[in-house]
Amino acid sequence: MSETVTRTYERFPLARRIEHLIMLLSFTTLALTGLPQKFPSSNLSIAFVYVLGGIENLRAIHHFAAVVMMLGTAWHILVFGYLGYVRRTRLTMLPTLQDMKDGWQALMYNIGRAKAPPQMGRYTFEEKMEYWAFAWGAIIMGVTGFMMWNPLSTTKFLPGEVIPAAKAAHGGEALLAVLAIIIWHMYGVHIKRFNKAMFTGKISEEEMLHEHPLELADIKAGMADRPVDSATLRKRQRIYLPIAAVLALFMLLGVYGFVNAESTALTTIERQVPTVVVFVPQTPTPAPTQTPTLPATETPLPIPSPTGAQPTADSTPSTPAVASALTWDNSIGALFQAKCTACHGAGALGGLNLSTYADAMKGGASGPVIVPGDGANSLLVTRQQAGGHPGQLTPEEIAEVIEWIDAGALEK
Amino acid sequence: MRNWFMANRSQLGLTGLVLGVFLLFVVMTLSVTPAAAAPQSQGDQPTDETCLACHQEAGMTAPIGGQPLPLTIDPEKFSASVHGTENIACVDCHTNITGFPHPEVTASSPRDFSLEMYPTCQKCHTEQYEKVLDSVHQTALAAGNTNAAVCTDCHNPHTQTRLTDKNTGELLLGARLAVPQTCAKCHSTIYETYRQSVHGAALTEEGNQYVPTCIDCHGVHNIGDPTSNSFRNSTPYLCATCHTNETLMKQYGISTNVLSTYVADFHGTTVKMFEENYPDQPTNKPVCTDCHGVHDIMRPDNPEAGIAFKKNLLVKCQQCHPDATTASFTDSWMSHYEPSPQVFPLVYFVNLFYKIFIPTVLGGMILFVLTDIYRRFVVRRAQVKGVSHE
Repeated sequence: MSETVTRTYERFPLARRIEHLIMLLSFTTLALTGLPQKFPSSNLSIAFVYVLGGIENLRAIHHFAAVVMMLGTAWHILVFGYLGYVRRTRLTMLPTLQDMKDGWQALMYNIGRAKAPPQMGRYTFEEKMEYWAFAWGAIIMGVTGFMMWNPLSTTKFLPGEVIPAAKAAHGGEALLAVLAIIIWHMYGVHIKRFNKAMFTGKISEEEMLHEHPLELADIKAGMADRPVDSATLRKRQRIYLPIAAVLALFMLLGVYGFVNAESTALTTIERQVPTVVVFVPQTPTPAPTQTPTLPATETPLPIPSPTGAQPTADSTPSTPAVASALTWDNSIGALFQAKCTACHGAGALGGLNLSTYADAMKGGASGPVIVPGDGANSLLVTRQQAGGHPGQLTPEEIAEVIEWIDAGALEK
Repeated sequence: MRNWFMANRSQLGLTGLVLGVFLLFVVMTLSVTPAAAAPQSQGDQPTDETCLACHQEAGMTAPIGGQPLPLTIDPEKFSASVHGTENIACVDCHTNITGFPHPEVTASSPRDFSLEMYPTCQKCHTEQYEKVLDSVHQTALAAGNTNAAVCTDCHNPHTQTRLTDKNTGELLLGARLAVPQTCAKCHSTIYETYRQSVHGAALTEEGNQYVPTCIDCHGVHNIGDPTSNSFRNSTPYLCATCHTNETLMKQYGISTNVLSTYVADFHGTTVKMFEENYPDQPTNKPVCTDCHGVHDIMRPDNPEAGIAFKKNLLVKCQQCHPDATTASFTDSWMSHYEPSPQVFPLVYFVNLFYKIFIPTVLGGMILFVLTDIYRRFVVRRAQVKGVSHE
């Protein structure tokens, strides 16, 4: 009795286990690097992208894993051909009507409507479902992945709309695959019972009895294997191997084309930076004061005379009462130049220009400011004596001006 | 003593309270009294009237380094200006003027004079002045470009009217109209481009104050370097501030999902994830401005070059995808549309398929797994019972 319990059968040869490992690793990598692209606004995605060193790195890893999976699939197709044609093994993975019946019976048994669970062979309906779902997924992901990887080539033959449609399908299928793996695969082989057959390759007789009783019966009856005599085997190999080689070449070329069909859609060229001339001033750099526009004499001086005594133009110049050495040329002109012409110069504030003798004698908007012979009543003097005038003359200077005017306000 | 204290405790408390309140009152009164009145010009400083006596004279100039420095102040404009209405006196800014003759001017040119004067602004406008220190203008100035704008180039202190609400600090509506012209003083060609754009035309021709002016994208005072990577990378969010605003976009019937549709597509996904991780690094993936333009943003349905037309869009695609030669390639990008049975129906139906397919498949799986768990539970309980009965 104990011998039968400890007896084990080989379920998966090493090659199948390596295949599984390759698919396991590439699938996980694709999922981890793909989902952040499907959900770019999630902080988790952004953190993951950061860990992988940026979105470009993440995409490179995604593409690398895709190539690994494609190569793994190509290998699987070659193996399938070998087993099917050369070894003529039973095609136990093909779905049959019996699988549907088994599935229904399993469900009925679970809910208490059937007395016994289904008796199944080498691959249960659960396993077949997962295998074919993976195959379906691989085709969808491969085709839509090609379109996204090579949009320029694709849109030469198909409308542009297939690219976003491919993206939608790629994302939807990815989500389905990842969740199906978590629900179906995780439960079926890890939670329900930790099934180590895919890693050890072995399965115990008891497990066989529970899960694959029909296969066990076939093995015991010697019907599981279909031995091929070496001559036939060699003959078939001679036929298959060249075909497989050509097939392999085509598939490798396909993968190569997949990766290298075009480059500009994915890498794109260096950004052409537009250049703009920035500093094109309308005028020389704007000044915080108005550029002069008005003619010089239009604005009257608004300050009223403090004395109210306005000397008039017709005031008769009196004869010089005092002789003086002071003249415009030898001192007064220079004094006005220094103290007054900032305003009463060429700018002629209030119409008064004190830069030349002739202009000074003309006076300003309020009339003459210098009444020869009458220094005390000259507007220039009264304005200055009131004090506080911008460009205020000192008392000594005022005295000089009075002396000069009293002496006739001579030019020379 | 202790007994007396205990007996009179309540009365002591009252006395203390009264004393305390009195002291507090005294302290408050003392601290309020010092002069906090409005700044008045010192007795020896000239009043505005004194200054204007000369400086309102038209055509006044003084040569600095051979170039005339305009000295005329228009009293009407000044009194209408924000400084005039706030009673800022000439000498509040021209602090070195105490009378006539004025102190010797040390500046070597009128421009140099402006550059000497503008730091005065920080006395009152500290916040704005400090923002400017981070600006591209200040950077250029520090690098020796004396053409770089300083305060007074944009805000003539003698004529500048109020720009912001005094209480809220928000930009007055009317002020927005003048912004592009202010920038145009130095950036005239960009202004011309902007004026013909969809935003610029609305502002300058229709007086629409809700369209972006220069400062809405570039900022004001702390105007950043628009050629920087971080500015480019953040463009989608910049445009989105208005273009995802329902209230604003409703007026023009423009979709507000432009950002979400952009981020959902290849370019936007890449830029979004890139920008989050490396905001300062360059990327060649397109942002809004690469297709829509920078200052020359146009309506997409503009018959000349609007990118709603495939032939115009293809040109944009070719900037990065030079091998794109078929117009159908442009449909690889859904042009901000949400797929629907009318627009991009294939995408719509693929999405619809998965919307139904995924829950159906997963639901079936979950259902089966649950029944399996249930069966295992029932079987185990039966086994335990069987064992205990033996």
